[in-house]
Amino acid sequence: MGSLDQQTLPAALKARGVSRRQFVKFCSTMVATLALPPRYLGAVVKAMESARRPVLVWLEFQDCAGNSESMLRTSNPTVTEFVLDLLSWEYHETIMAGAGKQAEAALERVVREHKGEYIAVVEGAIPTADDGVYCTIAGRTALEIARHVCSSAAASIAVGACAWDGGLVRANPNPTGAVGLQEAVPGIKVVNLGGCPHNPANTAAVLVHYLTFHEMPALDQYNRPLFAYGNIIHDQCERRAHYDAGRYVEEWGDEGHRKGWCLYKMGCKGPEATFNCPVVRWNDGTSWPVKSGHGCIACASHRFWDNKSPFYKRLPQVPGFGVDVTAEKIGWVALGAMAGAAAAQAIGSTIRKKVRPPEASEGPTKPSSSPEA
Amino acid sequence: MTEMHGGSRQISGPYQLAPGRTRIYVWEKPVRFAHWLLVLSLVVLSVTGYYIYNPFVISRGRAAYVMGTARFIHLVAAWAFIAAILVRFYWFFRGNRWARINQFIPTRRERWQDAVETVKYYMFRRWNPTPRIGHNALAGATYTLIFGIAVIEIITGLALYNNVVHSKCLGLLVGWVPRLADIQWLREIHFLVMFALWFFFIHHMYSVLLAASEEKNGCVEGMVSGYKFVTQADLQREFGTRPGGEKSEPVRAVRQTPAAGKVSG
Repeated sequence: MGSLDQQTLPAALKARGVSRRQFVKFCSTMVATLALPPRYLGAVVKAMESARRPVLVWLEFQDCAGNSESMLRTSNPTVTEFVLDLLSWEYHETIMAGAGKQAEAALERVVREHKGEYIAVVEGAIPTADDGVYCTIAGRTALEIARHVCSSAAASIAVGACAWDGGLVRANPNPTGAVGLQEAVPGIKVVNLGGCPHNPANTAAVLVHYLTFHEMPALDQYNRPLFAYGNIIHDQCERRAHYDAGRYVEEWGDEGHRKGWCLYKMGCKGPEATFNCPVVRWNDGTSWPVKSGHGCIACASHRFWDNKSPFYKRLPQVPGFGVDVTAEKIGWVALGAMAGAAAAQAIGSTIRKKVRPPEASEGPTKPSSSPEA
Repeated sequence: MTEMHGGSRQISGPYQLAPGRTRIYVWEKPVRFAHWLLVLSLVVLSVTGYYIYNPFVISRGRAAYVMGTARFIHLVAAWAFIAAILVRFYWFFRGNRWARINQFIPTRRERWQDAVETVKYYMFRRWNPTPRIGHNALAGATYTLIFGIAVIEIITGLALYNNVVHSKCLGLLVGWVPRLADIQWLREIHFLVMFALWFFFIHHMYSVLLAASEEKNGCVEGMVSGYKFVTQADLQREFGTRPGGEKSEPVRAVRQTPAAGKVSG
């Protein structure tokens, strides 16, 4: 991890042997990811060249380090390298060299010396039950650390589903009372980058946007950047034509699956989910879940473990019924019951007509029982 | 509106009224139009909607567009459904006495008692049905429920549609819905309401046929022609025989049925 010297990005890149060509390629990737017009490339390059590398601290709470891994795994010096060099990373439990008191002292130093200037990235949910004892680091609870660090930051970025809305940790029954960052520390400026994990290209784009325009990109109602979370996966999917045509995978490994047909009937949540997954993709733009033959599980949607499961069925389970009872089954049983009741009524009414005493047939109703008589 | 009269009119034609029956114009054109448009659109919406939930036809042709077509038809039928509902809701306030909102939501005590009597009839606690010129109170309350779930179907449907089209206008109308419940739960509700409407369909078919066989007032054909054939007792109950008995009825509706007084008097 770097020291607190405020090196510029080109100097840092030069030290790592990254050519200017690669640098401009990275900038144009970011312009495309942000859905900016190409003419912004110059502005982005200029901003990146002159930007003094802002300080960044990366906090991990109830997480699996999947977002850190997603950030680090790459084969070429692409997005990851640039992001690592774009900012001065002062604290990141998984990758920092320091440990114990030294590491915590580095975090404290950032909060003290760069108050209101640094960027805090949070990964993982924050437990709130029982005073937050379910996640403590260096003797302090995650809640305390998040309040302390994020409230002094210029901006906070919640990466991954857990930091955004609690993710897997918060899934029913949520024994630790886990919540996302913006619920745990209300009132701070947060950008949520949901997804399990987040897509590092989007995170890099948010940082580039911040360095270029000195503000966060346009956000939706969940404080997620619109450039990444504004469109439905279904509308960007390369298998969409199969959906419209009516060609569906019906079973794993069947003819349709081998031919790459639509995974709608296998419970793909593409029509329900928004993300730029099909465009940005993963692992250096190699693939994404649907391309590799598995339905989308809507990992970038709000509280997707509870809302989008079962992942292999079209509709959620109806609460209060068994796990194998689908909404459709309930519907058909109700219809059968109605038909049965109608049949029983028909038989009863036929008998009633036959045995009805003649004096009852005289008037339409008995005077004593007629409400308006 | 000029047809708004009750029964003492002479009917020309090859048929004759059954003894003691009066031909009376009950269901106006907007009511019948909305009714049959709802039936048609619901059938189309159900078939295409079920296909969208579970595409039971797997197409193989190169130029196939089965799901695309199903969704297009579903959307067109949905707008027809919304139009029918709006026409009918408008007629709650403009229609004759049998189309008005007070026929649906039982606010008066008599209507509640009436509904209880009808329940008794269905439960075999009563020998005779409870014929009314318009809806009986129980039917009216059921239709209120059905209109309610139709509105739920429209709201969830529009919210799901806006998830695709991102329209600003629709956003103003239903933008709040996805904030209340996740889109998957909206789909679930939209799907289950379809079954509720089918449930109602079976009930409605049965009840109409039962009423037709018991009351013999032409209630099935009435939804086509607008006319029902009611008994003197029905007219008496509806318009009253005692002086001042009409005062509790909506004045406008009574005025529009001038022949009714003559008949009942």
